[in-house]
Amino acid sequence: MLNPLDVVKVIEDNVRRYGFPFPVPREAVYSWAKPLRLLDRGSTMLYTGALYQLTPYIASIVEQLSAIEGSRVSGLALKLSGILSSLGVSRLIVRPKGDMVSVVERILTSIVSLLERAEVKVAYPYEDDMYSGVLLYDLGLDELFKEHAVKVYRALKSRGAELLVTVDPHTTHIMRSVYPRYVDGYDLEVKSYLEVLAERGVRLVREPSGGKVVIHDPCLYARFENVVEQPRMLLRTAGFDVLEPRRSRKMTYCCGGPIEGLTPKMAKMIAKTRLEELREKSGTIVTLCPICYANLRAVAEGDVEVIDIALVLSGAKP
Amino acid sequence: MTFNALQAYQEIWGALLDEEFQEALRRASTISQVRVEELLAERRELVELCREVAGIKRRSIDTLEELVERAYRSLEAVRAKPYLAGDAEEARRIIGGLVGSGKLVVMAKSMAAAEVGLRGYLESLGNEVWETDLGELLVQLEGSKPMHTTTPAVHMTRYKAIKLISEKLGVKLKGDSVEEAVKAVREFLRGKIVKADVGISGANALAADTGAIILVENESNIRLVTSTPPIHIALVPVDKIVPTLLDAVKVAIVQAAYTGLYPPTYISIIAGPSSTADIERVRVYGAQGPRELHVVLLDNGRLKALKDPLLKEQLRCIRCGRCQYECPVWVHTANKWGGPAYGGPMGLVWTAITVDPIEAGKLSYLCLGCGRCDASCPVEIPLSTILRHLKTMASRSS
Repeated sequence: MLNPLDVVKVIEDNVRRYGFPFPVPREAVYSWAKPLRLLDRGSTMLYTGALYQLTPYIASIVEQLSAIEGSRVSGLALKLSGILSSLGVSRLIVRPKGDMVSVVERILTSIVSLLERAEVKVAYPYEDDMYSGVLLYDLGLDELFKEHAVKVYRALKSRGAELLVTVDPHTTHIMRSVYPRYVDGYDLEVKSYLEVLAERGVRLVREPSGGKVVIHDPCLYARFENVVEQPRMLLRTAGFDVLEPRRSRKMTYCCGGPIEGLTPKMAKMIAKTRLEELREKSGTIVTLCPICYANLRAVAEGDVEVIDIALVLSGAKP
Repeated sequence: MTFNALQAYQEIWGALLDEEFQEALRRASTISQVRVEELLAERRELVELCREVAGIKRRSIDTLEELVERAYRSLEAVRAKPYLAGDAEEARRIIGGLVGSGKLVVMAKSMAAAEVGLRGYLESLGNEVWETDLGELLVQLEGSKPMHTTTPAVHMTRYKAIKLISEKLGVKLKGDSVEEAVKAVREFLRGKIVKADVGISGANALAADTGAIILVENESNIRLVTSTPPIHIALVPVDKIVPTLLDAVKVAIVQAAYTGLYPPTYISIIAGPSSTADIERVRVYGAQGPRELHVVLLDNGRLKALKDPLLKEQLRCIRCGRCQYECPVWVHTANKWGGPAYGGPMGLVWTAITVDPIEAGKLSYLCLGCGRCDASCPVEIPLSTILRHLKTMASRSS
């Protein structure tokens, strides 16, 4: 097993140095948006917090950590992880999982086009689409998180943001419910694009064949941000029959993602449990979060398909 | 008591690789989740009652220091002998002094006893000590620690349990019949209980107005342990004190329901030692039950926790263990994800309060922050928020 304290230390160092939990080229965060020519200033601002874009990198790192974790019996691996911090993890990053990069780009592009169909024009902060610092908060690194949050807030304000439209549950939660407690004078309104679409009424192309899908509620949307009915309503409007797993809505079950960097093995065990439960209802699993997507996909076998809700709603389903 | 988070992480790793451990936990947690879910859907009054209990516990914790004093006086009024133990060592010393050595001691399952390391201590004084709750007995035979608050042997399959009973109690058990195993343990323990010098229990609640201890169970071992030997010692953490007897019974009902036991098979109310005044109205203590009742009120970090706004919230905990069964991490680790006694979401916080907040904080990194524990806690403890708080404490210390 890895020593979680070492992993935490590495993440802390990296955020200080690069602004991300691990080194990623800055462009990787906003290059997807270049062809869309979105305004780079505006009051309604799409803010991704980089989580979707980081997912292909996380998946690649987790694969490598997984090999380290399983390479020795407990005691030795705990010591081995000391080596990990001396390498600064940067050596671990080879490249993002290639196929995931294009999936992520399609998801984000679909979100913009769905918002357009709901007649919501968003600006996009490009270089200032910074990492939200969600992992710092989750790991209890309060001082560094606060410092980071203030920077993010200032950057978004400097681009005229008033309403942030977020794309994943972690960023939605951190920007809406956590930042106000850490950033003095915080005055940004925050809505998930799913809430915006549901409120504004988006014209969705009805999938003629429809079909049965099972929904996997992400913990933060369901238990902390009350984004529960909106995705269901949108999926039904798009012609899908939405099935519920045994544990859903407020009592949804985690995908294991939050501890994938500390113990990939246990994260995988949790993901498997969840995948089996979802699969009992349908082989098409709809996720609302990039972390859930990556974790469930990593354990999906056979004819199980894990697909992000943005792709389902935009009809860009592969 | 001390413990080391890295050591615990190594044990967790071992548990992840132990298929029998994983299988036992998977089965138990699914059964428990479904049972409680169905029970609460069927009996909405229990959900109402748990809200009421959350209020009772909130008010109790707000006036805890005063309640401790009231409970102390009420215990004296019913001829129980109260003590206040500041920490685990003091609790061991008080109880060790009462028991002495060379005695036969029977114990009803108590997490407080595990918290202070009571069984091992009494054995070290030269006493013969037996756990009488079947799950706790299995833990004793295995030489491990309780793996869940109310179901301590949750990590064992029937094969493991039967093997332990056969080997350690010297009983011949054929095949894999759980019924045979239970029968064998019943016979073995009866032999001990009837001869025991001292019975030791914990408590689900203690009523400050009357000094009455409430104990809830399904095995009836607590009834035997608290009524058969001539001396009964109860070790009661101070956070279990509530204002009235009725409050205390409500706490016990909710605690039982959230472990899936409803109606509770037995609820015992014990207010003072057994006595009779049937002959010429002369009161004699020790009729059929114990002639002495000693109640050790255990602080061990609880009163200090009142000063930390988040740790204070934990003091509402009624130890139903619901958060453990609902936690996606705990269902793979049981209490190996924890300190010397407690584990899982609530257990890490109890470890922080009673042992060491920094080491508990280091273990808290495994918390997903998913909030299932928050959503399932009957007394609305913000467990995931407290665990994040512990992470912050750990990171600041390093």
